[in-house]
Amino acid sequence: MSGKRKILAAPTVLALCALASAADAAMDDYVTFSGFGTLGAVHSDYTQADFIATVSQPRGVGYSRSWSVTPDSDLGGQANIVLSEALSGVVQVLSRDTADGNFKPSVEWANLKYDFTPDLAVRLGRILLPTYEHADIRNVGYSLPWVRVPVEITYASTATHSDGVDALYRIRTGAVTQNMQLQWGTTQLDLPGLDFTLNRARIALFSDTLQYGNASLQLLYQQTDASQNPPGRLRMEGVGFAYEPGPWFVNVDSNYTHNSYFGDLLAWYVSAGMRVGHFAPYAFYSAMHQESVGTSALTSLGNQHTVAAGVRWDFAKNLDFKLQLEQITLDSLDDPAAFANLQPGARVGDKAHVISLTLDFLL
Amino acid sequence: MKSPALSALTLVLFLAATARAEDIVVIANPAAGPISKEQIADIYLARNNAWTPIDQSAGSSIYAEFYKKATGRDSAQVKAIWSRILFTGRGVPPKQLLDSEAVKKAVAANPKAVGYIEKSAVDASVKVILPL
Repeated sequence: MSGKRKILAAPTVLALCALASAADAAMDDYVTFSGFGTLGAVHSDYTQADFIATVSQPRGVGYSRSWSVTPDSDLGGQANIVLSEALSGVVQVLSRDTADGNFKPSVEWANLKYDFTPDLAVRLGRILLPTYEHADIRNVGYSLPWVRVPVEITYASTATHSDGVDALYRIRTGAVTQNMQLQWGTTQLDLPGLDFTLNRARIALFSDTLQYGNASLQLLYQQTDASQNPPGRLRMEGVGFAYEPGPWFVNVDSNYTHNSYFGDLLAWYVSAGMRVGHFAPYAFYSAMHQESVGTSALTSLGNQHTVAAGVRWDFAKNLDFKLQLEQITLDSLDDPAAFANLQPGARVGDKAHVISLTLDFLL
Repeated sequence: MKSPALSALTLVLFLAATARAEDIVVIANPAAGPISKEQIADIYLARNNAWTPIDQSAGSSIYAEFYKKATGRDSAQVKAIWSRILFTGRGVPPKQLLDSEAVKKAVAANPKAVGYIEKSAVDASVKVILPL
């Protein structure tokens, strides 16, 4: 409970609470509490490594244990505070299995937002990073079509939020709306699979989401400057596309990472699904591939590919149940993206079969 | 052979049934101009924050009917979209009011507000900007 991050974020939370109670009047109108969570169970039949649900988990299923509820389960609480027509605040606390291997709650979000116009806002504080499609809701299972965001796309950038400032700007050109975000701050990256821990890094990000009816195109540039382990700049370009007319949905996402030490990495996925009553079956193909060699001399860092199918069932209000089956092929023994604790018996070309069951809820 | 009376009764029942299902209108402040169905979908799916959408309660039949007609989405999909907006800090879901009377009052009081009610509930305090 008394982690460093928690302590750092505490003054912001206190300040927001103080401001909220100062706003007084009918509190219902000013503070909205909401929550989300997932109860998940996951199994892998591959005993030569642990399948992990997020890149920074040190332990998963397969080698350490056959089934586990810790990789996919989480619980989050959020308070939205309206201080005036233009000024609002948000605080989100999240508990999930992280790099520390426990469910110690951390502050994912704590910022103040000022709306200069309905189309221009500035936020100050801890802000989620929109590094890839669905990155900012990666922990909100109910909002995701799958059990989790395909892990390959998340591999090269493990930071979830940055402490700093961002600007949000919206422009409408005919039927196209562009949502731009320019973000600057410091962040924390963990890469336990490689025994690197980059405690602090500077981050700058620009994203532009072009929306045309039910279609959206997301363009992203993210740059991370780490001061240690290993030092250097990590540049990432991302392109994502989504088409969600209602009865069916398609999501495509990709990112290309440049780093002088690790080399260049390419990650992408294609996903499609449809809605049949309360059911939404889906399938995706996802891959991670090292494109060029850096000074580390690693040639196939993270390489793997996944074929998956699953179904979402909206069985009650604010609740859904998902079943997902995946076959993941290890295309490398250099930290394949979805695995930790690789054992000496692992071979390139090995396949892991993973079953995930989750219950997502909103509070 | 069908009797004319029976045909007439069938017609009346058919009209009553369709009228019941197509009765929803989108309303705004009397000063507002017309709006397209696409714009309404954008407003209620969090893609346009120039307007303030007012909702009916999520369990009501008018809520389900409105979202089906205006956005082509069911209640669970709408909930998933707004939970994404909420948990990314980009906004708060529309306020859900108890009934059409309350929606009318809220819309009449705010020039930026839009709402939806049964056609039969419309009065001079609001203006119909889009029949659904």
